[in-house]
Amino acid sequence: MAHLHDIPQPTRDAVAGLVSPGFDTTPFVTGPPLARRRVAVLSSAALIRRGELPFPPGSAELRILPADTPAGDLLMSHVSINFDRAGFQRDINTVYPLDRLRELAVAGVIGGVARSHYSVMGATDPLAMAETADAVAARCRDEGVDAILLCPV
Amino acid sequence: MLESRGIATIVIGLVRRHMEQTRPPRGLFVPFQLGRPLGEPEDPAFQHRVLAHALGLLERADGPVILEDFPEDAPNWHDTPGWTPPDLPACARPDTPDGWRVAFAAELAALRPAWDAARGRFGRSSVGLTAREPEEWPAICARFLAGETPPIPPIAAPALGLRHLCDDIKALYGEAAQATGRAPSARQVDGWFWRESIAGKMLLALRAVALGSPSNALRTAGGRFFVPAPYLAE
Repeated sequence: MAHLHDIPQPTRDAVAGLVSPGFDTTPFVTGPPLARRRVAVLSSAALIRRGELPFPPGSAELRILPADTPAGDLLMSHVSINFDRAGFQRDINTVYPLDRLRELAVAGVIGGVARSHYSVMGATDPLAMAETADAVAARCRDEGVDAILLCPV
Repeated sequence: MLESRGIATIVIGLVRRHMEQTRPPRGLFVPFQLGRPLGEPEDPAFQHRVLAHALGLLERADGPVILEDFPEDAPNWHDTPGWTPPDLPACARPDTPDGWRVAFAAELAALRPAWDAARGRFGRSSVGLTAREPEEWPAICARFLAGETPPIPPIAAPALGLRHLCDDIKALYGEAAQATGRAPSARQVDGWFWRESIAGKMLLALRAVALGSPSNALRTAGGRFFVPAPYLAE
Protein backbone atom coordinates (compact mmCIF):
# COMPACT_ATOMS: atom_id res chain seq x y z
CA MET A 1 0.00 0.00 0.00
CA ALA A 2 1.19 3.55 -0.66
CA HIS A 3 0.13 5.39 2.44
CA LEU A 4 1.63 8.36 4.20
CA HIS A 5 4.20 6.15 5.87
CA ASP A 6 5.46 5.01 2.45
CA ILE A 7 6.48 8.51 1.39
CA PRO A 8 10.24 9.00 1.87
CA GLN A 9 11.43 11.48 4.44
CA PRO A 10 11.61 14.44 4.68
CA THR A 11 8.76 14.71 2.15
CA ARG A 12 6.52 12.61 4.41
CA ASP A 13 6.70 15.10 7.26
CA ALA A 14 6.20 18.00 4.86
CA VAL A 15 3.07 16.40 3.39
CA ALA A 16 1.73 15.37 6.78
CA GLY A 17 2.34 18.84 8.16
CA LEU A 18 0.46 20.67 5.44
CA VAL A 19 -2.56 22.29 6.99
CA SER A 20 -5.57 21.71 4.79
CA PRO A 21 -8.35 24.24 5.08
CA GLY A 22 -11.55 23.26 6.79
CA PHE A 23 -14.90 24.71 5.75
CA ASP A 24 -17.80 25.87 7.89
CA THR A 25 -20.44 24.57 5.52
CA THR A 26 -20.93 21.22 3.83
CA PRO A 27 -22.81 21.87 0.58
CA PHE A 28 -23.89 18.74 -1.24
CA VAL A 29 -25.24 19.19 -4.76
CA THR A 30 -27.49 16.48 -6.10
CA GLY A 31 -28.22 15.91 -9.76
CA PRO A 32 -29.30 13.50 -12.47
CA PRO A 33 -28.20 9.86 -12.60
CA LEU A 34 -24.55 9.28 -13.55
CA ALA A 35 -25.58 8.10 -17.01
CA ARG A 36 -26.93 11.59 -17.71
CA ARG A 37 -24.06 13.56 -16.19
CA ARG A 38 -21.57 15.52 -18.26
CA VAL A 39 -18.22 15.35 -16.49
CA ALA A 40 -15.22 17.70 -16.48
CA VAL A 41 -11.77 17.11 -15.00
CA LEU A 42 -9.94 19.58 -12.80
CA SER A 43 -6.28 18.74 -12.25
CA SER A 44 -4.04 20.35 -9.66
CA ALA A 45 -0.93 19.42 -11.69
CA ALA A 46 -0.52 22.91 -13.20
CA LEU A 47 -1.07 21.46 -16.67
CA ILE A 48 -0.45 23.87 -19.50
CA ARG A 49 -0.71 23.70 -23.24
CA ARG A 50 2.62 23.49 -25.04
CA GLY A 51 3.75 27.00 -25.87
CA GLU A 52 2.07 28.60 -22.86
CA LEU A 53 4.14 29.98 -20.01
CA PRO A 54 4.31 27.66 -16.99
CA PHE A 55 2.25 28.50 -13.92
CA PRO A 56 4.25 30.88 -11.69
CA PRO A 57 4.77 29.55 -8.15
CA GLY A 58 1.89 30.58 -5.89
CA SER A 59 -0.39 31.37 -8.79
CA ALA A 60 -4.14 31.14 -8.24
CA GLU A 61 -4.86 31.33 -11.95
CA LEU A 62 -6.94 28.93 -13.96
CA ARG A 63 -5.91 27.29 -17.21
CA ILE A 64 -8.65 25.98 -19.44
CA LEU A 65 -7.83 22.81 -21.34
CA PRO A 66 -10.08 22.24 -24.35
CA ALA A 67 -11.08 18.59 -24.57
CA ASP A 68 -9.61 18.29 -28.04
CA THR A 69 -6.11 19.33 -26.94
CA PRO A 70 -3.76 16.53 -28.04
CA ALA A 71 -2.11 14.73 -25.13
CA GLY A 72 1.26 15.61 -26.60
CA ASP A 73 0.49 19.29 -26.19
CA LEU A 74 -0.08 19.06 -22.44
CA LEU A 75 2.83 19.68 -20.07
CA MET A 76 3.06 19.64 -16.30
CA SER A 77 4.37 22.81 -14.64
CA HIS A 78 3.64 22.11 -10.97
CA VAL A 79 6.18 23.77 -8.71
CA SER A 80 6.68 20.77 -6.41
CA ILE A 81 9.44 18.29 -7.20
CA ASN A 82 8.35 15.84 -4.52
CA PHE A 83 5.85 13.75 -6.43
CA ASP A 84 6.21 11.26 -9.24
CA ARG A 85 6.25 12.33 -12.89
CA ALA A 86 7.18 8.96 -14.42
CA GLY A 87 3.54 7.85 -14.47
CA PHE A 88 2.50 11.05 -16.25
CA GLN A 89 5.37 10.65 -18.70
CA ARG A 90 4.25 7.14 -19.53
CA ASP A 91 0.50 7.71 -19.66
CA ILE A 92 -1.25 11.05 -19.30
CA ASN A 93 -4.35 9.29 -18.01
CA THR A 94 -2.47 8.55 -14.78
CA VAL A 95 -3.03 12.24 -13.99
CA TYR A 96 -5.61 13.51 -16.45
CA PRO A 97 -7.99 10.66 -17.35
CA LEU A 98 -9.73 12.11 -20.36
CA ASP A 99 -9.36 8.99 -22.50
CA ARG A 100 -10.98 6.92 -19.76
CA LEU A 101 -13.87 9.38 -19.44
CA ARG A 102 -14.44 9.26 -23.19
CA GLU A 103 -14.63 5.47 -22.98
CA LEU A 104 -17.15 5.73 -20.16
CA ALA A 105 -19.22 8.12 -22.25
CA VAL A 106 -19.19 5.75 -25.23
CA ALA A 107 -20.23 2.92 -22.93
CA GLY A 108 -23.09 5.00 -21.57
CA VAL A 109 -21.77 4.97 -18.01
CA ILE A 110 -21.66 8.77 -17.96
CA GLY A 111 -23.70 11.13 -20.06
CA GLY A 112 -20.79 12.87 -21.71
CA VAL A 113 -17.41 14.53 -21.44
CA ALA A 114 -17.15 18.28 -21.05
CA ARG A 115 -15.83 20.50 -23.83
CA SER A 116 -13.52 22.25 -21.34
CA HIS A 117 -11.36 20.93 -18.54
CA TYR A 118 -9.32 22.79 -15.99
CA SER A 119 -5.98 22.97 -14.27
CA VAL A 120 -4.67 24.90 -11.29
CA MET A 121 -1.45 25.02 -9.31
CA GLY A 122 -2.10 22.61 -6.49
CA ALA A 123 0.50 24.16 -4.20
CA THR A 124 -1.49 27.39 -3.97
CA ASP A 125 -3.73 28.02 -0.98
CA PRO A 126 -7.22 26.98 -2.10
CA LEU A 127 -8.73 29.83 -0.11
CA ALA A 128 -7.02 32.20 -2.59
CA MET A 129 -8.90 30.57 -5.46
CA ALA A 130 -12.40 32.00 -5.00
CA GLU A 131 -12.30 33.74 -8.37
CA THR A 132 -10.96 30.57 -9.98
CA ALA A 133 -13.86 28.60 -8.51
CA ASP A 134 -16.29 31.25 -9.79
CA ALA A 135 -14.83 30.95 -13.29
CA VAL A 136 -14.93 27.15 -13.32
CA ALA A 137 -18.51 27.04 -12.04
CA ALA A 138 -19.69 29.63 -14.57
CA ARG A 139 -18.09 27.81 -17.47
CA CYS A 140 -19.51 24.49 -16.31
CA ARG A 141 -22.99 25.97 -16.19
CA ASP A 142 -22.53 27.44 -19.68
CA GLU A 143 -21.40 24.07 -21.04
CA GLY A 144 -24.03 21.98 -19.29
CA VAL A 145 -21.50 20.25 -17.04
CA ASP A 146 -22.94 18.86 -13.84
CA ALA A 147 -20.00 17.05 -12.25
CA ILE A 148 -16.32 17.81 -11.83
CA LEU A 149 -13.76 15.12 -11.13
CA LEU A 150 -10.99 16.66 -9.02
CA CYS A 151 -7.63 14.98 -9.55
CA PRO A 152 -4.97 16.32 -7.19
CA VAL A 153 -1.41 15.08 -7.58
CA MET B 1 -15.75 25.66 -3.09
CA LEU B 2 -17.24 24.41 -6.34
CA GLU B 3 -20.07 22.63 -4.59
CA SER B 4 -21.12 25.89 -2.92
CA ARG B 5 -21.33 27.31 -6.44
CA GLY B 6 -23.75 24.61 -7.51
CA ILE B 7 -21.48 22.07 -9.21
CA ALA B 8 -21.22 18.53 -7.86
CA THR B 9 -17.66 17.30 -7.28
CA ILE B 10 -15.78 14.10 -6.62
CA VAL B 11 -12.18 14.19 -5.44
CA ILE B 12 -9.67 11.38 -5.86
CA GLY B 13 -7.32 12.03 -2.96
CA LEU B 14 -3.80 10.73 -2.32
CA VAL B 15 -3.42 11.86 1.31
CA ARG B 16 -6.21 10.61 3.54
CA ARG B 17 -5.32 13.01 6.36
CA HIS B 18 -5.92 15.98 4.07
CA MET B 19 -9.30 14.59 3.03
CA GLU B 20 -10.30 14.16 6.65
CA GLN B 21 -9.43 17.81 7.25
CA THR B 22 -11.13 19.31 4.19
CA ARG B 23 -14.16 16.97 4.32
CA PRO B 24 -15.12 17.12 0.62
CA PRO B 25 -18.67 16.13 -0.33
CA ARG B 26 -17.51 13.02 -2.17
CA GLY B 27 -13.98 11.77 -1.68
CA LEU B 28 -12.24 8.59 -2.74
CA PHE B 29 -8.95 7.98 -0.97
CA VAL B 30 -6.57 6.04 -3.19
CA PRO B 31 -3.42 4.42 -1.73
CA PHE B 32 -1.20 5.39 -4.64
CA GLN B 33 2.03 7.33 -4.76
CA LEU B 34 1.93 11.10 -5.00
CA GLY B 35 1.57 12.17 -8.61
CA ARG B 36 -0.59 9.21 -9.68
CA PRO B 37 -4.26 9.79 -8.80
CA LEU B 38 -5.36 7.10 -11.27
CA GLY B 39 -2.74 4.77 -9.88
CA GLU B 40 -1.30 2.80 -12.72
CA PRO B 41 -0.04 4.07 -16.09
CA GLU B 42 -0.99 2.08 -19.19
CA ASP B 43 -3.55 0.02 -17.31
CA PRO B 44 -6.95 1.19 -18.56
CA ALA B 45 -8.78 -1.55 -16.66
CA PHE B 46 -7.26 -0.44 -13.35
CA GLN B 47 -7.93 3.22 -14.14
CA HIS B 48 -11.54 2.36 -14.97
CA ARG B 49 -11.96 0.67 -11.59
CA VAL B 50 -10.74 3.84 -9.88
CA LEU B 51 -13.08 5.99 -11.95
CA ALA B 52 -16.05 3.67 -11.45
CA HIS B 53 -15.60 3.86 -7.70
CA ALA B 54 -15.11 7.64 -7.73
CA LEU B 55 -17.93 8.51 -10.14
CA GLY B 56 -20.22 6.05 -8.39
CA LEU B 57 -20.21 8.40 -5.42
CA LEU B 58 -22.36 10.74 -7.52
CA GLU B 59 -25.18 8.21 -7.19
CA ARG B 60 -25.08 8.40 -3.40
CA ALA B 61 -27.49 10.58 -1.43
CA ASP B 62 -26.00 10.04 2.03
CA GLY B 63 -23.89 13.21 2.11
CA PRO B 64 -22.92 15.86 2.89
CA VAL B 65 -19.52 14.21 3.47
CA ILE B 66 -18.70 10.84 1.91
CA LEU B 67 -15.18 9.46 2.25
CA GLU B 68 -14.45 6.07 0.77
CA ASP B 69 -11.26 4.01 0.54
CA PHE B 70 -10.26 2.42 -2.76
CA PRO B 71 -9.49 -1.20 -1.90
CA GLU B 72 -6.69 -1.99 -4.36
CA ASP B 73 -3.00 -1.17 -4.50
CA ALA B 74 -1.45 0.01 -7.74
CA PRO B 75 0.06 -3.23 -9.06
CA ASN B 76 3.44 -1.86 -10.08
CA TRP B 77 4.27 0.19 -7.03
CA HIS B 78 7.27 -2.03 -6.26
CA ASP B 79 10.55 -2.10 -8.19
CA THR B 80 10.64 -4.10 -11.41
CA PRO B 81 13.13 -6.97 -11.16
CA GLY B 82 15.63 -7.04 -13.98
CA TRP B 83 14.89 -3.55 -15.22
CA THR B 84 17.86 -2.23 -17.18
CA PRO B 85 18.31 1.53 -17.57
CA PRO B 86 19.66 3.05 -20.76
CA ASP B 87 23.44 2.98 -21.14
CA LEU B 88 25.21 6.19 -20.21
CA PRO B 89 28.76 7.07 -21.24
CA ALA B 90 31.32 6.62 -18.49
CA CYS B 91 32.45 10.03 -17.30
CA ALA B 92 34.32 11.44 -14.33
CA ARG B 93 32.57 14.20 -12.42
CA PRO B 94 33.45 17.47 -14.21
CA ASP B 95 34.90 20.33 -12.20
CA THR B 96 34.44 23.29 -14.54
CA PRO B 97 31.35 24.78 -16.21
CA ASP B 98 32.71 23.86 -19.64
CA GLY B 99 33.49 20.37 -18.41
CA TRP B 100 29.86 20.00 -17.34
CA ARG B 101 28.73 21.33 -20.72
CA VAL B 102 30.78 18.79 -22.62
CA ALA B 103 29.86 15.85 -20.39
CA PHE B 104 26.14 16.70 -20.32
CA ALA B 105 26.06 17.16 -24.09
CA ALA B 106 27.72 13.77 -24.57
CA GLU B 107 25.24 12.11 -22.22
CA LEU B 108 22.26 13.73 -23.95
CA ALA B 109 23.56 12.57 -27.32
CA ALA B 110 23.96 9.03 -26.01
CA LEU B 111 20.46 9.09 -24.58
CA ARG B 112 18.83 10.47 -27.71
CA PRO B 113 17.96 7.11 -29.31
CA ALA B 114 16.20 5.99 -26.12
CA TRP B 115 14.30 9.27 -25.89
CA ASP B 116 13.27 9.00 -29.54
CA ALA B 117 12.08 5.46 -28.85
CA ALA B 118 10.09 6.67 -25.84
CA ARG B 119 8.36 9.35 -27.87
CA GLY B 120 7.48 6.72 -30.43
CA ARG B 121 6.23 4.31 -27.81
CA PHE B 122 4.14 6.77 -25.84
CA GLY B 123 3.11 8.95 -28.78
CA ARG B 124 4.03 12.12 -26.95
CA SER B 125 6.61 13.81 -24.77
CA SER B 126 6.24 15.85 -21.61
CA VAL B 127 9.43 17.80 -22.38
CA GLY B 128 8.91 21.41 -23.41
CA LEU B 129 8.28 23.75 -20.49
CA THR B 130 11.19 25.97 -21.53
CA ALA B 131 10.62 25.63 -25.28
CA ARG B 132 14.40 25.12 -25.62
CA GLU B 133 15.74 22.18 -27.63
CA PRO B 134 17.85 19.65 -25.71
CA GLU B 135 20.87 20.63 -27.80
CA GLU B 136 20.67 24.09 -26.19
CA TRP B 137 20.54 22.81 -22.61
CA PRO B 138 24.25 22.15 -21.93
CA ALA B 139 25.34 25.67 -22.84
CA ILE B 140 22.54 27.23 -20.78
CA CYS B 141 23.44 25.13 -17.75
CA ALA B 142 27.14 25.97 -18.15
CA ARG B 143 26.34 29.67 -18.01
CA PHE B 144 24.48 29.25 -14.72
CA LEU B 145 27.31 27.08 -13.39
CA ALA B 146 29.70 29.92 -14.27
CA GLY B 147 27.65 32.29 -12.11
CA GLU B 148 25.66 33.99 -14.86
CA THR B 149 21.89 34.36 -14.61
CA PRO B 150 20.70 34.41 -18.22
CA PRO B 151 16.97 34.46 -18.99
CA ILE B 152 15.63 31.44 -20.86
CA PRO B 153 13.10 33.05 -23.20
CA PRO B 154 10.15 33.05 -23.24
CA ILE B 155 10.41 32.69 -19.44
CA ALA B 156 11.63 36.10 -18.32
CA ALA B 157 12.88 35.32 -14.81
CA PRO B 158 16.20 33.41 -14.92
CA ALA B 159 15.49 31.50 -11.70
CA LEU B 160 12.13 30.30 -13.00
CA GLY B 161 13.63 29.45 -16.36
CA LEU B 162 16.32 27.31 -14.77
CA ARG B 163 13.79 25.71 -12.46
CA HIS B 164 11.70 24.60 -15.46
CA LEU B 165 14.80 23.57 -17.40
CA CYS B 166 15.51 21.17 -14.53
CA ASP B 167 12.02 19.74 -15.10
CA ASP B 168 12.66 19.36 -18.83
CA ILE B 169 15.95 17.57 -18.17
CA LYS B 170 14.34 15.17 -15.69
CA ALA B 171 11.42 14.56 -18.06
CA LEU B 172 13.70 13.62 -20.96
CA TYR B 173 15.65 11.21 -18.78
CA GLY B 174 12.48 9.81 -17.25
CA GLU B 175 10.97 9.15 -20.66
CA ALA B 176 14.20 7.61 -21.97
CA ALA B 177 14.35 5.35 -18.93
CA GLN B 178 10.91 3.98 -19.78
CA ALA B 179 11.48 3.60 -23.51
CA THR B 180 11.59 -0.17 -23.69
CA GLY B 181 10.57 -3.23 -21.75
CA ARG B 182 8.54 -3.44 -18.57
CA ALA B 183 7.96 -0.22 -16.71
CA PRO B 184 10.47 0.58 -13.97
CA SER B 185 9.11 1.87 -10.69
CA ALA B 186 9.25 5.60 -10.09
CA ARG B 187 11.92 4.95 -7.47
CA GLN B 188 14.06 3.09 -10.02
CA VAL B 189 13.80 5.96 -12.50
CA ASP B 190 14.70 8.54 -9.85
CA GLY B 191 17.52 6.46 -8.40
CA TRP B 192 19.07 5.98 -11.81
CA PHE B 193 18.81 9.67 -12.66
CA TRP B 194 20.18 11.04 -9.39
CA ARG B 195 22.84 8.45 -8.67
CA GLU B 196 24.09 7.42 -12.10
CA SER B 197 23.64 10.23 -14.60
CA ILE B 198 25.85 13.24 -15.19
CA ALA B 199 22.66 15.26 -15.50
CA GLY B 200 21.62 14.38 -11.95
CA LYS B 201 25.03 15.33 -10.60
CA MET B 202 24.91 18.53 -12.65
CA LEU B 203 21.57 19.50 -11.11
CA LEU B 204 23.14 19.03 -7.68
CA ALA B 205 26.02 21.28 -8.82
CA LEU B 206 23.53 23.85 -10.13
CA ARG B 207 21.79 23.77 -6.77
CA ALA B 208 25.07 24.48 -5.00
CA VAL B 209 25.77 27.42 -7.33
CA ALA B 210 22.23 28.74 -6.87
CA LEU B 211 22.49 28.60 -3.10
CA GLY B 212 25.57 30.84 -3.30
CA SER B 213 24.02 33.27 -5.74
CA PRO B 214 23.38 36.93 -4.88
CA SER B 215 19.96 36.44 -6.51
CA ASN B 216 17.35 35.71 -3.86
CA ALA B 217 15.08 34.16 -6.49
CA LEU B 218 17.82 31.79 -7.63
CA ARG B 219 18.68 30.84 -4.05
CA THR B 220 15.02 30.04 -3.39
CA ALA B 221 14.54 28.10 -6.62
CA GLY B 222 17.78 26.19 -6.18
CA GLY B 223 17.16 25.41 -2.55
CA ARG B 224 13.63 24.13 -2.98
CA PHE B 225 12.97 23.16 -6.57
CA PHE B 226 16.00 21.59 -8.27
CA VAL B 227 16.69 18.42 -6.28
CA PRO B 228 14.14 16.33 -4.33
CA ALA B 229 14.92 16.19 -0.65
CA PRO B 230 15.58 12.43 -0.48
CA TYR B 231 18.53 12.83 -2.86
CA LEU B 232 20.14 15.74 -1.03
CA ALA B 233 21.28 13.55 1.80
CA GLU B 234 23.17 11.13 -0.42
